[in-house]
Amino acid sequence: MSRKPYQPPMPASWWLKHPAYRFYMLREATVLPLLFFVASLLYGLYALGQGESSWLQYLSWLQQPWVIALNSLALVASLFHAWTFFVLFPQVMPLRLGSRTLPAWLMVSAQWAGVLLVILALWWLLGGMNADA
Amino acid sequence: MPMLNKNASQTTPHRSDEPIWWSLFSAGGVCVAMLVPAITLLVLLGIPLGLVSAEQLSYQRLHALVFHPLGLGVVLGAMVLPLFHAMHRIHHGLHDLKLAHGRLAKWLCYGSAVLLSLLVLGLWFSGLG
Repeated sequence: MSRKPYQPPMPASWWLKHPAYRFYMLREATVLPLLFFVASLLYGLYALGQGESSWLQYLSWLQQPWVIALNSLALVASLFHAWTFFVLFPQVMPLRLGSRTLPAWLMVSAQWAGVLLVILALWWLLGGMNADA
Repeated sequence: MPMLNKNASQTTPHRSDEPIWWSLFSAGGVCVAMLVPAITLLVLLGIPLGLVSAEQLSYQRLHALVFHPLGLGVVLGAMVLPLFHAMHRIHHGLHDLKLAHGRLAKWLCYGSAVLLSLLVLGLWFSGLG
């Protein structure tokens, strides 16, 4: 009991050493653009509460190149995150119909169909049917 | 075995609070995957991408949509749960990168998620009137 146990050194750069670790860190990093997304919505919520002129200011803020760039990054990050989450679902919670387990590809595509449905629903809410834009 | 009972903290099991944070993280993850693509595409990037017109994002329409009872649900799903999702990953990321660990980092991460969520709710309720 008197011997000190060996503790292998673990440098902070450990995650650079294997593709799987880098992939893990990339997935973790998707929350950084997500924080910008939440900040954009926070500003939007504030502007909506202030009145029409602040809202118009907000819409022009959204069209600044750096804001477009960061929100595009947030979009790509959310799709990447969605992909990793959707692939996990059939592994974590396999669904059964009678004695059969639903195939993983079906569950993953059903979730992507959900994403598409939300996009279409929001487009409809924004008057997409009537707009001739 | 009296030796084992010497330390009181060993005899009383400690209940972990991780299930709370992990549930919020997981629920936030689902919301991020389902809601963030639609909102970035059509609202935040809608005009630059040419998918919607400025008229479609008018103050009257957005005010009516957001300050609707169902709008509160969207605010919770698109802002509050994603905040807990993000701060959970940042909390573990700080540990992974050996930048910070322990109680303080945890309090700062989840504390900021709670405070920002209160700000979101405050903005929503004050915008109602």
